[in-house]
Amino acid sequence: MATFSAITSVIFAPSLKPSLSNNVIAERTSNLKMAIGGWRKNRFPSLKTNRFCVSCSAKPETVQKVCEIVRRQLALPAETELTSESKFSALGADSLDTVEIVMSLEEEFGIGVEEENSQNITTVQEAADLIEKLVEKKAA
Amino acid sequence: MFSFVSKRLSLMMMTKVCCFQRNFSSALPPLVPVKLPSKMETHFWYVLPDEVKSESLLSQYSELLSPREKKNLYHMQGDQFKKSALLARVLVRTTIARYQTNCQVNPRSLKFKKTIYGKPEVDWENGDKWCPPPLHFNISHTSSLVACGVTVNVPIGIDVEEKQRRLKNKILAFAKRYFSPDEVKLLTAISDPEIQRQEFIKLWTLKEAYVKAVGRGFSAAPFNTFTIRARVVKMGGFHHFDTQHSEASEIVVESSDDPENLTRNWQFALLDLAGSHYAAICIEKENSAGGEAGVPMRLTVWKTIPFVEDERVSGTGAVVPISGLIKQL
Repeated sequence: MATFSAITSVIFAPSLKPSLSNNVIAERTSNLKMAIGGWRKNRFPSLKTNRFCVSCSAKPETVQKVCEIVRRQLALPAETELTSESKFSALGADSLDTVEIVMSLEEEFGIGVEEENSQNITTVQEAADLIEKLVEKKAA
Repeated sequence: MFSFVSKRLSLMMMTKVCCFQRNFSSALPPLVPVKLPSKMETHFWYVLPDEVKSESLLSQYSELLSPREKKNLYHMQGDQFKKSALLARVLVRTTIARYQTNCQVNPRSLKFKKTIYGKPEVDWENGDKWCPPPLHFNISHTSSLVACGVTVNVPIGIDVEEKQRRLKNKILAFAKRYFSPDEVKLLTAISDPEIQRQEFIKLWTLKEAYVKAVGRGFSAAPFNTFTIRARVVKMGGFHHFDTQHSEASEIVVESSDDPENLTRNWQFALLDLAGSHYAAICIEKENSAGGEAGVPMRLTVWKTIPFVEDERVSGTGAVVPISGLIKQL
């Protein structure tokens, strides 16, 4: 998944919008078409790299909120490091925890996550990106 | 000299997993071998992490893991969690290795892969002459109990959960979001909050075990599209059940997506394990028994500390059936 994202981002501009804070590179044709269109314009927005995933990341506030919810759900001690790349499974989340986290995120952000998507959320970053995508869709 | 060594190593790597050298590790004794479960028989192994205290044993356990498993473990946070994650890998490797009664299998050399749906299975990857056993397994763990279920010929899914597990969200809100309407109705009807919580956890473990047995992930069987419930079964007279009531209760699953087909083929057991956990087991019925009602799941349960001690606990106070047609062996 990360590799695919990296390739598409490098070849095509990942976002049409001037701000950096949107749009997950999802493996969907619609995003690819948008991306091609974006590349034809003269703009080439600067990309925020995230180690293996070259993409436009979710807003820091969203990531922060996700971290808070994860920390609360898993009752993590203060010294446990929690970053956008933190994997839920590595933090001790079992399937019930993950589903609870998704539910808390839905309530916090006023969105609904389809079950297929909730399976794909394995890190804080992925959760934040999906949230922003769904919030945007809802606003549209 | 070094080219000789490397040639020998590559020769060793090319030999089959089976019939490997007998000394797995300099200090660990051999595993006690076990016969494969027969048809319609389920084996259930569990480890209590709190009983594994020896640092040197844990260190020897780490040596059984593949490089990738070691790497995953390294990234885990929290000592208790890390320990149970280690024991989960050790349990699955040693359990499967026990069943190779013809020639000994080194638990360290077992390889695992995932189906296209993401369900873990053994990657036997050997020469054509060797026929791997039709062995199915599934693991589940909490920080205080690690379990592995084994069957032959039929898929299995298990889930274990601490009896005292509490939700961060409200139970009914969670159930309305994720469970089926019938299940929500059942939970709503329970007025005592503690009983409601217990019934919720039991239902969760059964639903998890079912989805894991089906093996296609949540999207193939979203939780709110199927209902699991207990159904009273008249005793046929031939079967002896372990439940305390005079009428046995069978656990059944009904799917709103697929009302006829898949759901009649699954058999469930729900246990109170070690006084601390609910354990749910779901296996597919063999074709011949598919239509027949009232056939119990034949179950053997062991508590183990791999390489140290195995204790058969089925039929003891450590394994208390809650529902489902179960015959403990």
